[in-house]
This record gives sequence, structure tokens and C-alpha cells, in this order.
Amino acid sequence: MSSNKPDTEHGRKPVQAKNGAPIIEVRDLVTRYGETTVLDGISCAVRPGEIFVIIGGSGSGKTTLLKHMCGLLQPAAGEIVYRGQDITRMDEDELAQMQRSIGIAFQSSGLFNSMTVGDNVALPLREYGEVDNSLIPDVVRMKLSLVGLADAENKLPSELSGGMRKRAGLARAIALDPPLVYFDEPSAGIDPIMASGLDDLILDLNRLLGTTFVIVTHELDSIRKVAHRILMLDRGKVIFLGTMEEADHTDVERVRQFFERRPDEFIAHRNIA
Amino acid sequence: MSEIRLKCPDTLNAESGPALLEEVKGGLPEEGQNVVLDFSRTRSMDSMGSAWLMRLAEAVRGRGGELRWEHASGDVVAFLDLVKPGLLTRPTPPERAPGFFEATGGSAINMVTELREFWNLVIDTIYWTVLAPFEGRGFRWGLFIDEMHEMGVRAVQIVCLMNFLLGLIVAMLLSKQAEAYGIQIFVADVVMIGFARELGAVMTATVVSARTGAAIAAEIATMQVQEEIDALRGMGLNVTQFLVSPKLLAMLVVLPCLVALGIVCGVLGGAVWGIFVLDFEPSVWFNETLQRCELRDIVEGMTKTIVFAVMIVLVGCHNGLRVTGGSRGVGLMTTRAVVMDIFFMIIIDIQFATLFYYVLE
Ligand SMILES: Nc1ncnc2c1ncn2[C@@H]1O[C@H](COP(=O)(O)OP(=O)(O)OP(=O)(O)O)[C@@H](O)[C@H]1O
Ligand SMILES: [Mg+2]
Repeated sequence: MSSNKPDTEHGRKPVQAKNGAPIIEVRDLVTRYGETTVLDGISCAVRPGEIFVIIGGSGSGKTTLLKHMCGLLQPAAGEIVYRGQDITRMDEDELAQMQRSIGIAFQSSGLFNSMTVGDNVALPLREYGEVDNSLIPDVVRMKLSLVGLADAENKLPSELSGGMRKRAGLARAIALDPPLVYFDEPSAGIDPIMASGLDDLILDLNRLLGTTFVIVTHELDSIRKVAHRILMLDRGKVIFLGTMEEADHTDVERVRQFFERRPDEFIAHRNIA
Repeated sequence: MSEIRLKCPDTLNAESGPALLEEVKGGLPEEGQNVVLDFSRTRSMDSMGSAWLMRLAEAVRGRGGELRWEHASGDVVAFLDLVKPGLLTRPTPPERAPGFFEATGGSAINMVTELREFWNLVIDTIYWTVLAPFEGRGFRWGLFIDEMHEMGVRAVQIVCLMNFLLGLIVAMLLSKQAEAYGIQIFVADVVMIGFARELGAVMTATVVSARTGAAIAAEIATMQVQEEIDALRGMGLNVTQFLVSPKLLAMLVVLPCLVALGIVCGVLGGAVWGIFVLDFEPSVWFNETLQRCELRDIVEGMTKTIVFAVMIVLVGCHNGLRVTGGSRGVGLMTTRAVVMDIFFMIIIDIQFATLFYYVLE
């Protein structure tokens, strides 16, 4: 049996991201839903091998930004460059090709209800045909055991709890070992033990496979644990972009408020009354 | 207990995995033999490699042995740790399909539960539609109006069109037969009687069940799946009061109107054929039609319609509330609702035909 080594040995601490050309870069992105501008000139670059965390108040456009970064939404203006190519100008085939190389775990899991959890994870493996067919069941089992769902393989998504569904969604996202994984609110609806297990998993995958993660989360502990860099959105703008240390010493009031968990004035008033 | 030791290759991945598995299988002569993998040479491994490792663990376990590993270093340790839970657990076997008797018994029990649920829905609906408003327990008039608009006003066009075309077709078919005997004018009689007794109600109810019956089932099923029904119950509100009774009452008002319209349109469809193709004077044709228009037939058609209305709403709601699973369940239940609607419609129709022409005759 393999020895149980202390945590520090293989470094469950954020390692500094490799420098180099960004794997995905957003330039002056503008999005509108009807009249309202949700994202208003966002720019950021994610480096390969980085764990990039997007934070911001509820409704600030995090999910929207994430959907842009995987080509699910067309922006009103701006570019999104994936490995040197602008995905907003790609045709359908090129976009599909690009989307195969990324994994996406959606906020509400996005599992197919008609299939078992195992089949959900197997779907990309079968469809893309990159994995030997006879090995697919083992790959599925391995991916599910990574997220602690080894015994849910034959269950239907509707038979799982919210947090279990979320983890199954992650297993599907990482089925093909994509170099880039988007993860919308991994820890929402998950108990702290499992959430910190997920953080470890993210760190391990990042370290062992060099997977780049773009994660939307509100969990302060989890941000401290995994984030290489943090981007904060507020009212459609980037108000902060930097490391955790920088975030701890920033002057931006909104960022400090976020990390110190201070409520807005009006909610504070309401609480007094 | 004996063990065999094997050295892992430099890199454990999709290429080297199969060879390792073969080596292990080849070297396992005895039952219950443990396998120890020596990772001292291994510098790296990837997911595919660990999937092969998983299969290997399963093979060893299948022979009653156990897989262990040693001398791993660096990243390989981390990787093995990551996949360890998978390596140590057995795959869960897929659920056994039930045998014949089990399946038969299962469906019988399901049917009984379903009937009981349906019965409860009927009782609840009667209470919340008929009694509760008089007890001052409230009725959602706003929703009732909306539903009438949705089920009735918006269905007028399609109902008229379908009945008109059906009237035309019936006249077309009959006039060929009637021509042989020179009694084309009786086509007007048959169209009138046919629509009043049978076709108007059945055609309209078919259109409405495909349109509204499906919509009711899909709406309620989606609400069930998205926990909206639970939310409603959790607020101490009654699902029947909130969803079922307004729909039922709206349908009771709207379907007879639609059927009346349908009868008129069907007769008009027949008349178009009679006047433009069979060359009858409009006055002659309509005179014949009106002579055949008997209260008794209309009453039969309309009584049937009332029963259809109740059936369509209850079947839609019942199926919607029974949904399990997610989006797929919604689809299945919607289909089921429409199929049941049409099936019960025919059954009800037979009952009425027997009642009106053989019992009350
Ligand atoms: N399909 C849509 N149509 C119109 N407006 C939308 C749509 N989707 C999102 N929005 C609006 O865009 C804004 C950003 O939504 P988004 O889902 O990106 O927020 P978020 O930051 O992910 O929030 P949360 O943390 O609650 O998930 C919100 O104000 C929302 O109302
Ligand atoms: Mg979101």
C-alpha cells in the first residue's frame, strides 16, 4: 500500500503559475442582454497551468463571462482569444474543435437526465473516440472515484443530491483530461469536507496534469486555498486582478469588503431595524 | 499467501497499460495470489494509465487476490493517492433486470397506486372546484381567466380549421356514394347529424388534448421536476386549488364553446362542398341541414364534451404530478397524457353511443 505522506510533501499549496503565452485571453468584452449591459469592457488573460478564480457579487456576470470564454455566447463587442485564435470569429466546426479541448462543469450541473451518471461521463469519451472503447468503463469509474462518486455510476442524475450532481458534472468535464476546465461554483451546495476535497482535487489535477482551471466561486477558504490569481467583477467591470496576497493588501474597497465579508450599508440598516 | 512482483514501466499510460495488464494476467497462475507493483522505475503516469491500473486491480480482485504497490516516488505517489479510492473499490454491478413474475407484480402494484393517486386527485378536485369556493376558501379567478384565454381563444383558429376540413372531407366521401342513388341532398343530413353527435366533439377534443392536454402535463411535470410543486406545498398551499381547479373550470367553460364552433365549422365545410361542387342552392342545402338539426343530437354531443373536458384536465394533471426523473420524465409523461386522452376519449365515446342509442332508446 502506498504510504500516507504529509500534505506538504507534494505541495497542496498554490504553486506559482507558469508564465508564457495565455491559454485564453479576453479583450474588451462587452455583453448585453437586451438593454442592460452585463459585461462592460472586460479584459483578462489566463496563463497555462494557472488556477484562475473569478469572484463577484451575485448577478455580476461571472457565469456570463465563463460562457463567453467557452464560446457559448456571442459578445456584443470584444475578442476572446484561445491559443492565438479569436473564438468569436470561429465557424461552427472550429468552435466545436475548440470546445472539445475544454471541460465545462455548469452551475446547475448540466447532466443529461435520461442517462445514468456513468453514461454521462462516458458520453464525451464515446463521442470523441479518442479512448479505446473497451477501456471506457474503467476511465468512467476512475473519474467518478476521483470525485467520490464511485458507487453512483448506475444511478440517474435525478436520484442524486444537488452536491452529488455537481461533482458528477465535474467528472464529466474532466473525462477527457482537457487542458482547460471551467468550473462554475464548485462548492455551492457541497458540505465543507467535500468542498475542501474538491479543492484538493483541483490542485492535484492542476499539478499532476497541468490542467488550467477557471473557477467561479464565493467560498473564501477555497479561494485562499486554490487561487493563483483572482479576478473580481463588479457592475460589469474588472475591479481587481491579482494574486491572493495582492488582494489582501488592495485598496479597492469592494474587494476588501468581499474578503472581510462585510455587508452593504442598506442590508446592515435593515438588520438593525 | 504467495505474491507476485512486477515492475511498472517508466511511464504508465495508454501505450504501456495493456502490456502491464497482460503481464499480470500471464503471471497469475493461482487463485488468491496477491500482486505487488513496483513503481521504482516509474517517473510519470496519466489518466489512461490509471484506468488500465484500475482494470488490472479488478482482474486481480476477480481471482481473489489483492493489488498493492510500493516504491512510488514524486508525482506518481500523488497520482496513486488520487486514484486510490477507485483502485480499492469494486465496480457496482448494474441493477438486475426484474424477472417475469416480479415485473408483472410490480406493474400491478404500480397500477393500484396510480389508481389511488388518480382517485385522490379526483376527490381533491371536486372539493376545490365545487365546494371550496362556496366555503370562502378562495378560487384563483385571475388564473381562470388566463387559462380560458390560453385554452379557448387561442385554440379557436385551429379548431375551426380542423372541423371545417373534416366537414369538407366527409361531404366529399359521401357525395360519391350518394351520387349512385341520386340522393346527394342527404349528404347535408349526414354531415349535420355526424357533427352534432360525434365528429364535432371528438375532433375538437382531439385537437384540444394534443394542444392543452399536453401543455398541462408538461407544465405540471416541469414544475414537479424543478421543485416548484414542493415549494407550493411547502408554503402550505394546495396544489389542486392552485393549479388544477382553475384549469378544470376554464376547460369546462371553453371546450363546449369550442365544440359548438366546431360543429358550425364542420357543417360549413360540408356546405362548401354541397354548394360549390354538388351545385345546390344555398337555401336548399341549409334548409335540409336545419331540418336535421335536432336538440337531442346536440345534447348528446355536448354532454360528451363536458366529460371530455374533465378527463383532459385530470389526465394532464395526473400525469404531470406523477413525473419522476428530469427532462426525460417530462417528455414521457406528456406523451403518456396525450395517449391516455385519446384512449379515454374513445372509451367515453363508446359509453355514450351505447347509452344514447341502446339504453335510452
Ligand atoms: N438569459 C438572460 N437574459 C437576460 N438577462 C440575463 C440572462 N442571463 C443572465 N442575465 C443577467 O445578467 C446578469 C449576470 O448574470 P450571471 O448569470 O452571469 O451572474 P453570476 O455572476 O453568475 O451570478 P451568480 O453568482 O448568482 O451565479 C444578471 O444580472 C442577470 O440578470
Ligand atoms: Mg452564476
